[in-house]
Formats: sequence, C-alpha cells, structure tokens
Amino acid sequence: MKISKRPGGVLGIVAMTSIVALSLSGCTRDGAGQGGGSGSSPGITDSAITLGITTPLSGATAGPGKCTVAGVSAYFGAVNAAGGVKFGDGKTRTVTIKSYDDAYDPQKSLANFQQMVSDNVFAATAGLGTPTNRAFREAAISQKVPQVLVMTGDPLFSDRKQSPWQLGFVPIYQNEGAAFGKLLSASKGQHKVAILSQNDDYGKGYVAGFKEAIKDASNISVVGEQTYEATDTSVDAQLTQLASSGADVFFNAMSVTPLTISALQKAQQIGWKPSWFLPSNTSSPTAILEPGGAAAYPGIYSVSFAKAPQSPAFAKDPDVTKFLSELKQYGNYPDMPAFPHCMWSYMVGATLEQAFKSMTEPTRDSFMTALRNIKDLKAPLMLSGTAVDTTVDGQPAVSSVVVQKYNGKGYATAENFG
Amino acid sequence: MGTVSSALGRRSVRIALAVLAAVVLLAAPLLLPAFANQTLVRIGVYAVAVLGLNIVMGYTGQVNLGQIFFVGLGAYVTAYGVNQGWNIVVVFIAACVSAGVVGLLVALAAARLGGLAIAMVTIALPIVGVPLAKRLDEFTGGSQGISARFSDAPEWSGLYNDQWQFYIVLVVTAAAFLLARSLVRGKYGRAFAVVKENEAVAASMGISPYRTKVLAFTIASIFGGASGFLYLAAVQYTSPETLSFGHSISLLAAMVIGGAGSIAGSLLGGAYYIFVPQITNAIDPNLTTLSQGAILLAVLFLLPGGLVSLPRALRRLGRRRSGRPTSGNPPKTAPAPHPVPEAALEGPDNKERQDRP
Repeated sequence: MKISKRPGGVLGIVAMTSIVALSLSGCTRDGAGQGGGSGSSPGITDSAITLGITTPLSGATAGPGKCTVAGVSAYFGAVNAAGGVKFGDGKTRTVTIKSYDDAYDPQKSLANFQQMVSDNVFAATAGLGTPTNRAFREAAISQKVPQVLVMTGDPLFSDRKQSPWQLGFVPIYQNEGAAFGKLLSASKGQHKVAILSQNDDYGKGYVAGFKEAIKDASNISVVGEQTYEATDTSVDAQLTQLASSGADVFFNAMSVTPLTISALQKAQQIGWKPSWFLPSNTSSPTAILEPGGAAAYPGIYSVSFAKAPQSPAFAKDPDVTKFLSELKQYGNYPDMPAFPHCMWSYMVGATLEQAFKSMTEPTRDSFMTALRNIKDLKAPLMLSGTAVDTTVDGQPAVSSVVVQKYNGKGYATAENFG
Repeated sequence: MGTVSSALGRRSVRIALAVLAAVVLLAAPLLLPAFANQTLVRIGVYAVAVLGLNIVMGYTGQVNLGQIFFVGLGAYVTAYGVNQGWNIVVVFIAACVSAGVVGLLVALAAARLGGLAIAMVTIALPIVGVPLAKRLDEFTGGSQGISARFSDAPEWSGLYNDQWQFYIVLVVTAAAFLLARSLVRGKYGRAFAVVKENEAVAASMGISPYRTKVLAFTIASIFGGASGFLYLAAVQYTSPETLSFGHSISLLAAMVIGGAGSIAGSLLGGAYYIFVPQITNAIDPNLTTLSQGAILLAVLFLLPGGLVSLPRALRRLGRRRSGRPTSGNPPKTAPAPHPVPEAALEGPDNKERQDRP
C-alpha cells in the first residue's frame, strides 16, 4: 500500500467532494417531495397507488423479512389481476409494491425511507423490526407520510398522540400476556404461577399484560418471579429457583429459541412439570416444542391470530389454499411459509384494501382517516375470535389473540385452561 | 497532461480550486433535491468513521475491527446529552472525548499485544457493545433504542432540515479531514508510517512503537466518536443495531475500497458505504448481499489500490493503449492528481514510497 502524501491531497479531497456533489445535481427541489399541485398526495394517480416496504431482505432476519414483502405482494397481485381496488373516490387503481432491503440496520431503513419519499411512494407499510421502524418514525411524522401496519410489537406505534402517522399491525406484547392471563383467571381451580421474563421491553411487556389480566382473580397467585438477560446462555439457576416455589403454571416470556428449548428440557430433568405459557414467536411445534420434549408437560399454551398453513386442521381451508396459491403466483414465495409474517402481511394487504375502499380523497390524510376507522374486519386467514380493529387508541390493528394449546402435533384453540 | 499537472501544482491554482470547491459545497444543498442532500449527509457521517479507521489501519498498519463501537458510543453519548438538554457543542465534545477515552484505555492494553492480537481485542468491542447497550437501558433506551432531535433546522435559518443537517455535517467533516490531513503529513504521520513498516526501525529512530500505536488508535476512536455525533445528526436515532459487528466489517471494506492510507480515499469509502446499498436496492432488493459482494470483488480486482487509484489506473491504461502519451488519455472526470515528480517535491516522506513500486 502506498502512502499518499502528495501535494494534491487536499485538492483530491475537494475534487472528489465536488464530483460527488455535482453528480447528484441536475434536478431541483420541489417542496421536499411534498404534495402535487392537483390536491392529491404523492404516489397516487387516477389509475395506480404505490406502497413502499423497507424490511430486512438480507442478514439474520431475512426469513421473516422476505415474508413481509411476499404476503402483501401476493394479496395485491391477485387484486390487481382482478382489475384493482375500487377506491372510495370512485376510481379504480392498481397497487404497486416497492420493496427495499434494510438488513435490519436503522441507518439503512432511514435511507430507504428517504428514497421512498424521492421515489414518490404514497405510504410505507408492513416493514419488520422495532429499531428499523423507529429510525424513520420521526421523519415520517414531520413529512406526513403514513407508516402503517408495521410488524413490531412496540406500543409506541399505536399511540395516536405520539405517532399520528403510524399504526402497528401485530399485537403488542401486552396483548399476548393478557390473553393468557384472562384464560387462566377464568379457570375454576387455584393456580400458582411462576414467571420468568427477559429483562427488556419484550419481557416486561408480556409480564405487565399478564399481571394486569390476573389483577382481580383471587384464584391466581404469583409465587416466583425471575428475569434473565437476552444474552444469557443458560437459565438453569432461575429454573431451579422457580421449581422450588411449587408453581403449577409457568409463564415464560422468552424470545430466544435455544434458551426456550433448553428450558423445556431442564425443567423436566429437575422433575418440575407445570403448564407452560410461551410467546407466539417461541412456540413453534417443530423448531422448539419437539426438540424440547414438550409432550412431557400437562399443557403448552401460546397465542395466535393466524391460521397456520402447516396445520392439518387448516389443510383444506379455502383461505389457506387461496393464500398458498397466490403466494406462489404473485408473492414469489413457492415454499410453505416458514414464518407467520407471510400470513400477517397478507392480512395487512386485506386491511389496506379496506382502507382504500373507504378513503374519499386521494390524499394521505384521507387514507389515515379511513385506516383508523376499520372495525371488525375479518381478514382472510384470521382465526375465529380475532379481528382487525383500528379504532382503539393505544392498540395496534390486531389486538385480539386466541390462546392455543399444543396437542402433540400442532396447536388447537383452547376454550378454557386445563 | 504535463501542463495540467504543473498548473495544479502551483499554489495559487490550488487555492483557487479549493475556494471553488468550498463554494460548490456551500451552495450545493440549496440547489440539490432533498434526497441528494440526505445521501451526502450520510456519506459525510461514514467518511469520518472511515477516516479514523484509515489513520489506525491505513497509515499505522494496526488491524482495528471495532471502529463501529466508537461510532455507536459517540451516537449514544450524543443522544444522552441532547436528551439531558446539554449545549450542543458540549455534546459534541463529550461524544469525541468519551470515545477517545475508551479508545485510549483499550489501546493501552491492546497495543502491548502484537499484530493480530490487537485485531482480536478490537473484535470484542462491538460484541460486548451490543449487549451492553441493551442492558444499560437507563442511558441507552435498551433494545428499543433512543431518539434525539437536535439537527432540525431552526426557524430563523429558513432552511429545510436536510440542508441544515448538510451544513452541520459539512463543518464537522471538513474539520476532521483537514485535521487528519495535517496529522498524517506531519511528524506523527511519519511516525505512523515507520511503525507500520518496521517497528524495530522505528524504535531505533527513537519512535516508540507502543506510544505511536496508542496514539493512532486513540485518534481513530475520537474520529469514531465524531462520526457517532454526525450519525445522530443525520439519523436522529440510535439503537444496539447501530454497533453490530457486521457494520464494522463493512466499514473496513469501505476503507479498503476507498483506498487504504489515503485521505481522499476515506471520502470515497464513505460514499461507497452509502451508495452501494442504494444501488443494489435498485437492482433487486432481494439480492443485495449478492450484488454487494460482486461489486466488492470487481473493485478489488480492477483497482487493488482502491477507488482513489482510479485516475492513475486510467492514465496508465491510456498510455498503454496508445503510444502517444499526450493525446491518448481517456477523458477524466477528476482533475488528475499528482504524477510522481510532483510528489517527490514533498521531501522525506516520500523516500519510502519510491523504493516500493
């Protein structure tokens, strides 16, 4: 390597800077990408509307990330093939999806958002990830660009005052914990609950929801509470301690797959066999419960709001077969979806379509009003007992989940505990 | 060719060009569309980080795989300071100083170890940094990250936010590049070069390799902290993802591609870091990693000296193609930097580069 200490060094710098600057010029500012003259927002014409998705398409979270694009593309691919969406203003438009890879990097997701604005995207939607969505939340607010139905359990996105241009799609962590708490307090018997939670917003959210739901139930008592760090490699000590409390229900708000498996194994080894509650993202029958030997426990409970295409119970369900064929044809996703995000983003498509149908003007304002006014929408693939409801402040579009019980192969809806 | 370079060598011409570039840079944000400004802002952020990396790796030859840790640290300190309502100049100084202090402490220990051992120690930084950022949630906001807005354009300026951010980044980046340029051209730069070549020779000349390495590492950390400050000016948000280890490797790749041991190369490296994801996104968002790898390989095969060697490579190509050295030059996009005779004027620094073809 040569040492470049030459008289032209500074010249080189300024020259290069000028090149970069000049190569980018050539177009001039048109009001920071805001508003066309004719009263309609950017990204919407009389025949088409463009939506943007920034999501991880490479890196460790690429699997769920690809699903978020595939589901929306599948839904609108089929809708476009049938002619498009008839909007509330009487015009029929086709829906174009532009996807951008952020590799789960906040800096890149902000860059992608800025790119979307310059690409004249009407709204950002369906993107996966808390930090990546947070990174451009304030920019979206200040530029009045909708950032809606995003895949994060962070409650901030569903707070209307703080996030006027946002709306989360998936249930917040509290919703999941609360659903299980409700089921448990409705049961007849006395139950002693041991709680293990991840020491961050994720674990705290689950526990807060659960405790809120059992607050008035006299038959439920919390007898032990432990936390662990997301980076811990073992929770054996916590498990031993919780086992000694004699609890018959174990509420485990854990987001790390290998830890969940080893916890399932360890508790059996020390002879502690309570009923378990596991969050929706760490309760996969094939990836977690089978290797963990979950059949040894009286019950493993989790929550869901989407029909699982893998489950034999839904193999012939019309929603599921339609979904799978559209995913293959329009979503560029020929395999059986490995992540629930495929189903979720398909529902995002249905929710957006509903909002489009009732927006009366081709503007972002009108879209947000329409979007915040959806009640009791049974999107395809939703389990009975759940629905899209965007009218409640502080809640994401889907806040209703059903508790499910593991039956040795997959999950079935649990009407009551035990 | 010869006339152009001799004209460039003249001091008055160089000053005139520098003034011209300064005017262009000052006027650019007012004329460019918002997205171009935002892109340039992000280039500035990473150019400073790459510049720091270049000082410790390109100039001093010490492998540093933890630069992103200092960027993240600077960003967190900035976010914390802004949210506490500190004066913004204090925040900037705090970001640089805290990164510098941590860098110094790490370097004091790491520089005792030779060669690759330093690389191992620096790997540890981002690996420890991410869980640390998650755990210290009082300061860092935990895994949800932390927002801080201080770079919105004030009312009186009449500027858009992106223009205001451009000027903030321009001031800090320009200062960083001028300081770095003076550093590597002065006696410390010579010390860095000797330590890089041969530590025994350095010691025999009265230059302590240990202290030189610590110095280079600390300066790199300070630049990392400054880059973190700029990161927050540009992104207004930081989270543990910011300092993940993968980004450190990307910074390293950006440095090599821009041109190791070159000040202008750091700027090109910053541009590479920002542009390539944008380009690959435009090609096919599903294949970004693949196309980024292809671009990386292509640049390294065609220009082993980095993008900064492009003018030289073109010139050489032009000379080889046509036997006529004056008329056969391919059109250039850049004012051609420095043929060798010019460089020789610089004096003692250049002994080394001449005996290494």
